[in-house]
Amino acid sequence: MRLKKFSLFEESASSSVSAYFHHELNKKIMDKVAGKCYLPANRIMLELLEKYPEFRVSFSITGVFLEQCKRFAPEVLESFRALAKTGRVEFLSETYYHSLSSLFANKQEFIEQVQMHTRALSEISPPAKVFRNTEALFSNQIGNLLESLGYIGVMTEGIEHVLGWRSPNYVYRPRGASTLKILFRNYKLSDDIGYRFSSKSWNEYPLTASKYAQWLSSAEGECCNIFMDYETFGEHHWEDTGIFEFLKALPGEILSHKRLSFSTPSEIAKTLPPRDEIDIHSEISWADKERDTSAWLGNEMQRSCFSILQELETQVKQTKNEELLHSWRLLQNSDHLYYLSTKSLSDQDVHSYFSPYESPFEAYINFMNILQDFRERVKQENEVGAE
Amino acid sequence: MKVAMLGWEFPPFVSGGLGVHCFHLTRSLCKLGVKIDFFMPASGKHILPSHPSLRIFEVSKVSQGPYLSFSQQAKNLSRTYGENILPSIEKYNLQCHEFAKNLHAKEKYDLIHAHDWLTASAARSLKQELSIPTVHTMHSTEFDRNAVPWRFIADIERGAIGNADRVITVSNRMKRQLVEKFNAEEKKIRVIFNGVESEEFENKDTLSRISLPLLQNKKKVLFLGRLTGQKAPAEFLRAAKEVLCLEPNTAFLIAGTGDMLPHLLNLSITLGIQKSVIFLGYLSDEDRKKIYCQCDVYVMPSVSEPFGITALEAMASGTPTIISTNSGVGEAVKTVLRVDFWDTRAMAEKIIALLRYPPLSSTMSGMSYSEARQFTWAAAARETLKVYDELLALKK
Repeated sequence: MRLKKFSLFEESASSSVSAYFHHELNKKIMDKVAGKCYLPANRIMLELLEKYPEFRVSFSITGVFLEQCKRFAPEVLESFRALAKTGRVEFLSETYYHSLSSLFANKQEFIEQVQMHTRALSEISPPAKVFRNTEALFSNQIGNLLESLGYIGVMTEGIEHVLGWRSPNYVYRPRGASTLKILFRNYKLSDDIGYRFSSKSWNEYPLTASKYAQWLSSAEGECCNIFMDYETFGEHHWEDTGIFEFLKALPGEILSHKRLSFSTPSEIAKTLPPRDEIDIHSEISWADKERDTSAWLGNEMQRSCFSILQELETQVKQTKNEELLHSWRLLQNSDHLYYLSTKSLSDQDVHSYFSPYESPFEAYINFMNILQDFRERVKQENEVGAE
Repeated sequence: MKVAMLGWEFPPFVSGGLGVHCFHLTRSLCKLGVKIDFFMPASGKHILPSHPSLRIFEVSKVSQGPYLSFSQQAKNLSRTYGENILPSIEKYNLQCHEFAKNLHAKEKYDLIHAHDWLTASAARSLKQELSIPTVHTMHSTEFDRNAVPWRFIADIERGAIGNADRVITVSNRMKRQLVEKFNAEEKKIRVIFNGVESEEFENKDTLSRISLPLLQNKKKVLFLGRLTGQKAPAEFLRAAKEVLCLEPNTAFLIAGTGDMLPHLLNLSITLGIQKSVIFLGYLSDEDRKKIYCQCDVYVMPSVSEPFGITALEAMASGTPTIISTNSGVGEAVKTVLRVDFWDTRAMAEKIIALLRYPPLSSTMSGMSYSEARQFTWAAAARETLKVYDELLALKK
């Protein structure tokens, strides 16, 4: 969800809040990625499901993604619906918006976004009782909340500083929970495909499906959660890298190993017992090398924007204006904060690679100009309502 | 190693980046064990060298003092008064040649290091006569200084570049310009960024000139540079006009002087912002070091800036900085906002953002403070010494 360049000098009062969002660019990006990834990859997934009755796959998609599909690429929505019909494809629960609402002091907004997501996904298939928070953010506290909402499992990052000596390939229980189970993403094996697949300087290059299945087979533990950006297939690694051939060959190779089979996250959460309790007292995520919240809340600019967003909740909801509410939630998209990270200035990391802005400062200026304008509109709306 | 360095100005008699550059470069080179004889026009005062290995020779009196908008003034002079600055430059170069030649008999210089076009003819004649290698640093060219370059000077610059065994530029931008506009041989050009003596810019003393009641409780936006077209002070004023529409409680300080001053005074009146614009005049070295700290934003909007050392000075002071996309320093620094010099609206938006959003200003302030500290004259001197060594190795 890209934002427009917002000028302080242009008459903003006449236009609507939808002017914050770069709809043409969003359409262009959706068209591009649909053609390179979503459509061909979904086609392959469907073929694989038809060919191998044991094959399972799960997706984690936001309500905003569904909205964009409806608006710009209905054929993508149809292809997900076709996958759902097989009964062997699971959609995980998450927030409707790609937001950090789980970090708000008041959790009401988070709960509303989760409920919105459940309603929206039900159009395709009701989401699983396994939750995947935005950017895999998780803590004991979030665990408690999820358990109280009836979730049986949660997917997060299998990072060493919480696992310690333990393997990510088992199911665990977060401290304070009584029924909720944690499924840890095996980031090494996931990143072998997600990041390293097409890297010619990688000593395992080229990665074949049979080699990868062999790695899975020799991995310890009871489950191995391979979870990556869907854009891995065709967008991060283009078709000519052989990524689609790899995907086509993988289920067959995996099923040729006696030790290996496929499961959906809810099957794992239902069947595997928790092997230990894990204490995650401060939030973890799968972002940056720190694997915490610092990708979005690492500097003062990020924290101040986050506070503004959070503080607006009462006023926005007071307006009872659906368009303002939706815009406020779209502005909560974690990417807007991610672009403000100044980590990229010290080490050339992925923030600048993914950012459409020249620098985090420019990103902040644009975001703040929009937030200020938005705050003013909300204020005006409430004043008009009070009269 | 002994070097004859041909310069034009030296602190405290400075009007631009060249003098600052020579002062710090010579001192840092001396610290690395290089012995330098520095030649310059007579200042009328006795300039003290900054290191025991540095000797300063003030060789001749030049009627035209500072570098200030040099070629423009020279043109005006020759047109209006039939008087020409060029003979005194030629005289300086001749005397430089004589001085250095005589000293060479005893000192046996290893090489000549000249700066800018003003020293070109002495560099050429010394190279011929002494048969030692020549390094020429190009800090700026006619194409930077004037919208319509004075061909006569551009030709001198071309000659200097051709004559030198190695050319040092202060940015890649400048290197490209030499290759494209002067047909310079790319392989003999070395890019060495300027440094900054960061600690000198931490002085928080208030400048009496800006403790005016008028400025109390106002946010201050600074322009500092020669008032010539190259530095784009008029664009700064146009941006100021736009800023004042949204942030009326802002003052715009213009430090420096130059031939555009009368025009800028008029422009501030025409724009109706004269009450919010303060012309501070030329700032001494000491005042320059204090002023950045006292401003909320520094803008360097230059039309063309081979490097732009003031941006590093402002950053070293922890003052959030907006630079022109046409500046060499932009290749090297990250903690800045960038703007096209002609886009005064974008310039205004960035100034407003820095005035309105404290988290932006404090983040940039802290980061620019540390980033500027990565640019040291010691590093620039080490790189320069590499160029010297390279030439001496070739000679052997």
